[in-house]
Amino acid sequence: MPNATGRQDAARSVVFAPLDGTGRAELVEQRLTDAIVSGVLRDGERLPSESELSRSLGVALVTAREALEGMRDRGLVRTRRGRDGGSFVTYDRDAAARLLDSRIRGHSRIELRDLALHVSAIAGTAAEIAADRASNDDLETLSAIHEGADLTTAGGARRALGRFQLEVAAISQSPRLVREEVRLQSEAGPLLWLCLREQEYRDLSAASRTRVIDAIRTVDPVAARTATLAQATAALEWLVDEKVRLEATADLTGQGLR
Amino acid sequence: MNTTAAHATLSPVHIAARVAETFDGLFATIDAWRDRLQDHLEADAAPTAATLDPVVESSAVTALAADGLITGSGFVAAPGLLSDAHWHLAWWLGGSAGIRRLATIDDPSNDQFRDYTTLEWWRFPARTGSRHLTGPYVDYVCTDDYTVTITTPVTVGGQLLGVVGMDVLVDRLERELLPLLRAAGLPIAVVNASGRIVTATDSRREPGSMLRLEGLDDALAPLRGPEPVSQSRVLPGGAEVIACGDTSLALVVGL
Repeated sequence: MPNATGRQDAARSVVFAPLDGTGRAELVEQRLTDAIVSGVLRDGERLPSESELSRSLGVALVTAREALEGMRDRGLVRTRRGRDGGSFVTYDRDAAARLLDSRIRGHSRIELRDLALHVSAIAGTAAEIAADRASNDDLETLSAIHEGADLTTAGGARRALGRFQLEVAAISQSPRLVREEVRLQSEAGPLLWLCLREQEYRDLSAASRTRVIDAIRTVDPVAARTATLAQATAALEWLVDEKVRLEATADLTGQGLR
Repeated sequence: MNTTAAHATLSPVHIAARVAETFDGLFATIDAWRDRLQDHLEADAAPTAATLDPVVESSAVTALAADGLITGSGFVAAPGLLSDAHWHLAWWLGGSAGIRRLATIDDPSNDQFRDYTTLEWWRFPARTGSRHLTGPYVDYVCTDDYTVTITTPVTVGGQLLGVVGMDVLVDRLERELLPLLRAAGLPIAVVNASGRIVTATDSRREPGSMLRLEGLDDALAPLRGPEPVSQSRVLPGGAEVIACGDTSLALVVGL
């Protein structure tokens, strides 16, 4: 590569740089933390062993170990030795709330906006295509998810939202949209749908599902997309407001970020 | 229009029969497993996953190795049937990397867990007691592929013990069916009983989209019952709907 520029050399050196465990351990830690904080993993639940984690997440054993150590340091899991040993989730409501607050503050408004945009692009397109491709059976499935939603808790509302959007993606008949929806739900879901802590937003999410179902029934792709986007926008606005509020409180009490 | 194909025309009725033949082999395979599993379960009053899985595996692996159309196959147990596994899928997948068992989540407290008795490939055969063809659909519970799944109930003494089934990738099916359809020399589509296109000679009729023609839903209604009725009908717009044997699929000709 005689004509390589310095810039290309730098880019190449990154490609072939050793994959160190640090970045990946943080990703694993973030994924598990999100699951605990959002109630997907429950208090007292036993986590998979280090070797099971390393296998299922496709990371090295030391990376899984490092992630678990990080979570132990933050009091999110506790480890027991012995025959019935393992790592167990210790869900402390106050600690979880503090973690979420620091996550909201740890993201810039631009990042939050970008996250909502990505979710909108996938879920909005899925809804648009689904409106044209749904059969009567598909509509029944969507209605069943909607009617079975537990809106009394944030976790229940989020599960309903996730199941509904996944089903809409499946109805679009696109394996790629489905895969992307699944990936985004684990990556962006815990943060973006934090507004479901408030009853008002759980009711809004149910109203949005009604609009999407109606749009799909009447084969109205534009309305299906619009209703889906409106929900993501409302969630983003809540996040940004919450961020402003948290930062104002922090300024008052003289706390810096973290 | 391709003139070579126009010369070698097959009648639509003939093509419908050939489409049905493509599935006959799959149906025969699946009926044979069902019989084998029913025999096994009849003889075993307290079945376990540990004893049943090897029986399923031998059938499934043989089918995956023998038939290029099949990409997944196995047995799904009625909840509570097996004393050592309340929810149980014994499912094997084919593919270039070799045959492997599908990893499943059988713990209902896990967020990724799905109650499979709510899914079409379970619900329909459970309700009607007959074989069912699900899809084309995105199989997000198992493989994330665009799939057609054929399932048939396993019953002993009138009690549903589970379903045996197989997956066929829609694009492999399309590769098999499209040359047949082109032999008609007419615009023609294969649709499922809901009117969803499996494949069509017109490239603007995409697989997975709904074929929306006046009267089509009514014409397909007999295919949605437990015993799909072989018949044909002409729609108000002039297109002809011909059932493909007892597959629950139909040809729509002249659309």
